Amino acid sequence: MLSGIINVILKRRSIRNFKQEEVPKEVLLKLVEAARWAPSGSNIQPWYFIIVNNKDILEQIDSFSPGLLGRPPSIVVFCSDKRMAFEKGGKIGKEVLYLMDIAMAAENLMLQATKERMGTCAVRSFNVMAVKKILELPEHISPELIVSIGYAVKEVKSPVKRTLEEISFFNKWGGEVK
Amino acid sequence: MNESDIVKIFSYIVTSARGCMDEPKIYGPLRLLNTMSKLFYILKDDGEISNKEIEKIVEKIDEKKFSCKTDEEEFIIMIDEVIDKLVELVQSSK
Repeated sequence: MLSGIINVILKRRSIRNFKQEEVPKEVLLKLVEAARWAPSGSNIQPWYFIIVNNKDILEQIDSFSPGLLGRPPSIVVFCSDKRMAFEKGGKIGKEVLYLMDIAMAAENLMLQATKERMGTCAVRSFNVMAVKKILELPEHISPELIVSIGYAVKEVKSPVKRTLEEISFFNKWGGEVK
Repeated sequence: MNESDIVKIFSYIVTSARGCMDEPKIYGPLRLLNTMSKLFYILKDDGEISNKEIEKIVEKIDEKKFSCKTDEEEFIIMIDEVIDKLVELVQSSK
């Protein structure tokens, strides 16, 4: 019997067809709060979260985001502050850590959304320059990931995943997990 | 189809073209099929298209298009079936 966090993890799916039903503002903020508590290398937190639920802005972003599918009623644009990442995290902060931080924050948000019975999809297929211009982001802030948020039209079946035995080892490469 | 719709479709196509330079190869056909779907629904909303057979084709594409990420063979079969249907439509529209 599955329970707790693993249940939420197993339920999460990438949703690409949304009901045209608004997500309440307080729910969106709750999701971003989950993102805010993600781990961050050296606790730099080189991130900003732009919540977009304005229909006109959504349509503009949609036009430049081929990967954003199913007309989500809201999105969160995960942005990085590479200046902050470099100043506090050095070369590794600027080149590697900031992306890991963004990814962990996005997963936090998506899991919280799953718990709230909402669907999400992480999207990288968008034009960075266009989204930056639409959102009026400062020069040093870049959009890295968009997560669509809404209520799924229908449930999505589980994708095929590589087995635990195939991808994990104990103690050294090839160390069997059985 | 108004000017705003045309600009949006153009933006989608050009952004897709740029994305295809960096993204997985399979995303190319996916973007083309998506463009077809987007175009259909704009025309349908405007009342400029009402052919049920075309709608069925678009619905089939929308239902199966993501198989490109999980089952390439199923994706190719779907496209071939759509082409087969389109041939019938082209022939019957003469």
